[in-house]
Amino acid sequence: MPHPLIGIHAALGELGAIAFLWVFIELINPIPKRVKRAKVVASIAVILLFLSWFTGGYYYVNYYGTNVKPIIKEGPQPWAHSVFTETKEHVFLFIPFLALLNYFIIKKYEGTLIKDRKIRKAVMVLSLLITVLAFAMAGMGYMISTGARTALEAGAL
Amino acid sequence: MKDVNIKAMSISTMLTVVLIFLITIYTELNSGFKDALKAFAGHHWVAKGIIAFVFFIVAYYVLNHFVSKKEDVLENVELVLVFTVVCSVGIFLFYLYEFFI
Repeated sequence: MPHPLIGIHAALGELGAIAFLWVFIELINPIPKRVKRAKVVASIAVILLFLSWFTGGYYYVNYYGTNVKPIIKEGPQPWAHSVFTETKEHVFLFIPFLALLNYFIIKKYEGTLIKDRKIRKAVMVLSLLITVLAFAMAGMGYMISTGARTALEAGAL
Repeated sequence: MKDVNIKAMSISTMLTVVLIFLITIYTELNSGFKDALKAFAGHHWVAKGIIAFVFFIVAYYVLNHFVSKKEDVLENVELVLVFTVVCSVGIFLFYLYEFFI
């Protein structure tokens, strides 16, 4: 059975990604109510992504390294760890900082986001970047799970 | 926090992304550095996270004193986007190269 923390980590991360997609959608055709909602959603997204960082980190440091990594390395798809886990664990570190920056832009320019198209575009670009990166993390998570599964099927345990 | 300097925070974010990229590559090339990170926080990845977070905050507060508050938010964010994409692809290509070649 998969460790429950990996599900919690993935769920928190994807909820954070969806929340920033929500921010993007709110700002396509903004009115004061939507801007206010975007700010609230962005603040929740920041919390979700930080929680995803901590749960994923705890799982990675305390479980993955000793229980999953050796199995993948012994299996037919060792690149699942050597390429995808390594990339995922490091690129993930970018996301909380991007989320913080986006939140503070929305918070500072809440009153001018409707009129100022350039600032609105900046928030939308950043929201999409965070969403794409977070979904890329999920994609890499799938590759890592596949690496573990094929290793178990091949009798690597 | 209404008075947050977005230009300083954007530069701080860019520098943090580059720092994570450089530490990631250097850790793979220098096992002594990896051991030092392990000794610092118990695990090299935890150490990278702590270093990145502390650096982000310190860089912001330092830059806040030097960077003008006249902001072009879109230009700043576009630079953050470019640095993030380049460093993300760079990390992926590095591990791809390290494994296959």
